[in-house]
Amino acid sequence: MAKTAQEKIDAKKEKAYYKKHKKMYRTKPGDVVFNIFNYLFFGLFTLTCIFPFYYLFINTISENELVKRGMVNFYPMTGSAESAHLGISFSNYIAITEVGDLGQAFIVTIARTILGTALMVLASAFVGYIATKQEMWHRKFFYRFLVITMYFNAGLIPWYLNMDLLGLTNNFLAYIIPMIVQPYNIILVKTYIESIPAELEESAFIDGASYMVVFRKLIWPLSRPILATIAIFGAVGHWNSMQDSLLLMQGNSSLFTLQHRLYNYLNESSNLGALMSQGVSGQAAQNAMEQALNSKVIKYTVAMVSVIPIFCVYPFMQRYFEKGIMLGAVKG
Amino acid sequence: MKEEKTEKNGSQGVLYVILRVLTVITAAMIFFPIANPARVCDVISNKISLFTSAISYNSLLPSPYRIIKSGQMDEMVIVTAYIGALVALIGIILMAAGACCSLGNLRLQKLGLKFSIIGSIIDIAGCAVCYVAYLMVQQGPENFLDKIGPRFPTGVLVYGGIAAVVLIASIILMVIMPKPEKGMRFEMESKFKLFLMFLPFAFLAFLFCYLPLYGWRYAFFDYKSGGTLSMDNFVGMKWFTYLFTNKMVRSDVINVMKNTLGISGLNVITSWLPMVFAVFLCEMGSMKFRRFVQAFTTIPNFISWVLVYAVALSIFSTDGFINTFAIQAGLMTQDDAQSYLMGDHLTWIKMWGWGTWKGIGWSAIIYIAGISGIDQSLYEAATVDGAGRFQKIRHITLPGLLPTFFVLLLMAIAGILSNGLDQYLVFENADNHDHVNVLDLYVYNLLGEDQIPLSTVVGMFKSVISIVLLFMANGASKLLRGESII
Repeated sequence: MAKTAQEKIDAKKEKAYYKKHKKMYRTKPGDVVFNIFNYLFFGLFTLTCIFPFYYLFINTISENELVKRGMVNFYPMTGSAESAHLGISFSNYIAITEVGDLGQAFIVTIARTILGTALMVLASAFVGYIATKQEMWHRKFFYRFLVITMYFNAGLIPWYLNMDLLGLTNNFLAYIIPMIVQPYNIILVKTYIESIPAELEESAFIDGASYMVVFRKLIWPLSRPILATIAIFGAVGHWNSMQDSLLLMQGNSSLFTLQHRLYNYLNESSNLGALMSQGVSGQAAQNAMEQALNSKVIKYTVAMVSVIPIFCVYPFMQRYFEKGIMLGAVKG
Repeated sequence: MKEEKTEKNGSQGVLYVILRVLTVITAAMIFFPIANPARVCDVISNKISLFTSAISYNSLLPSPYRIIKSGQMDEMVIVTAYIGALVALIGIILMAAGACCSLGNLRLQKLGLKFSIIGSIIDIAGCAVCYVAYLMVQQGPENFLDKIGPRFPTGVLVYGGIAAVVLIASIILMVIMPKPEKGMRFEMESKFKLFLMFLPFAFLAFLFCYLPLYGWRYAFFDYKSGGTLSMDNFVGMKWFTYLFTNKMVRSDVINVMKNTLGISGLNVITSWLPMVFAVFLCEMGSMKFRRFVQAFTTIPNFISWVLVYAVALSIFSTDGFINTFAIQAGLMTQDDAQSYLMGDHLTWIKMWGWGTWKGIGWSAIIYIAGISGIDQSLYEAATVDGAGRFQKIRHITLPGLLPTFFVLLLMAIAGILSNGLDQYLVFENADNHDHVNVLDLYVYNLLGEDQIPLSTVVGMFKSVISIVLLFMANGASKLLRGESII
């Protein structure tokens, strides 16, 4: 391909420009130092974010005896204390299936995550769609009625007493129903739907489609990106939530969530830690200590099990981060 | 002819307004404990609403339960009252459905009237059943009557009266409204259709966000869990003054406020960190490494505080990574091993550190997005003018990010009282209690100590101050930037 005369001249000019200003574009020694420090800092900080989880993980897949002796620090080990070597054993993951209540907590948490997220997304999409309709009766008032709930909060005790009065204590529905209407998510969806060209909808209405049909066939598929965003954040919220389980399920331990169980397990050990730090001796305390050390790895394993789902969805989440956080800046 | 028609429409309109308003009032009333028709005697709690009585039989059982066990009261009374409440609830739901249908066309309105008529009859029947329960109480064993205290349920009159008015109104409407033509379809104006589709969600918001505000009334009573609210234990502003006059509580609150403001203050003072983090991250040439750092520094944000604590334990506890590694490396002996999580050393800083570790990567994302939104030609122009790296950051990047930073700073100041519960709950222990006891944790612990009124008062103060702060932040933003943040 032959270059046009003009392009040739341009290229020449550019070259001359860089030659003239060569000094400006050269890497200076200061830059090198800066880069080294920058890379070093971020490398180290990233390490502090990865290593704890890695450490937790290798402890759960090593031989318990070696963990107890504090030999597992950088890679998983199996074998006896004398002949420890690199290796993996999943015995802990098999062992935790025998820890009572854990399976139940797992099922409860999965159920609330799936059901709660599905209903929340459906409701947010639907309400977000209705809220874009100018013709709704007193739309402004009702939309504000909903959105303003973001900014005030009656407090923990009135909330608890209210849930009690609504019959939502020791009731699985307490995990689901209060989470359905999330003003923040509704704002996100509404803002997104408003960016969809109105002509699409209008032509559907001209063809005789009802609101429900338009919602199902047009709005739902078109707003999938934002729905995926709120679904993922909602699911993580459900998976991580502990406060409702802690407060509302006091009378029915079979409804505890995974995080609540884990909290209880960890708390047992910290109580033992308190005993140890106070230097309490005696057979009972020593037995308890022994037990705590044995179950330490089990606790780590439970923690690992509740982290793994997050790590699994994490790669899919990433591309929605920016959308989620940026749209949040848009007011309702 | 024309006049007659408008007059007829006028009376119809009035009747419909009465019907709808009354239905909305009953539908809202079932969530408030005032005038609960199922409360036929004093031993039934006066804190439960018609809705609660209808969905949960247990809530109706008198406290103490032995009143029934010892035969002082027939359990059939409770069963009857429960059935009455349930029937009334079903009636009210039907009435609500009827009122919703009344927004439609003639045929739908006719259907709605049928609902209203049936619903109000059922509602009245439910009230009648409750009245029967009241009569049963009166006929109970005489020597215990004083203790059980039969009480005429005013709710029967209130609900029954409303239902009767609705019944009469809907019958009149049924008569005066013309028959729908044959082949007429159920239709409704789209504005009402949309409204009705929206209504269930507004209702949920009412139940879970507005209704709890009614719980603030506990602040004015001397209440212990399981007790009742009555004029006997109404104490007015006692708990409000108690908060400031009682020495123990006052010193607690002062300590709690110190912790809350201290830890939040640290967070506010360092709220520029994520911005700097983002700026320096974007100074790195290698895109791959940047993505890598971004991906992994965001992870902790998605881990619950319980899991963060599990991680903390595995690293910092007596048999955690730091201790075992130091022992193996010969840096210390077995006896020096200590848990860095116990103790009360620099607790605020530690709490701030955990929060920052967890949140910085996530908070930086908004700034990274902001940086990529800055016009690249500005940087080119600056390079041509001979600006160095730091000059470019100082004169282009930071000014570009300042509006975002400003909004987030204001939000952080508005949320200064809300540290969240989870973090402090999991990191709290006997040693550091005095320094992690923030407002949210304090309120939570008061609940555990059965100090419901006091913790409600503290919660009220927190809510009110938070909302005032939010409006102040908003005002500041309007004043300085001409833009509101809420």
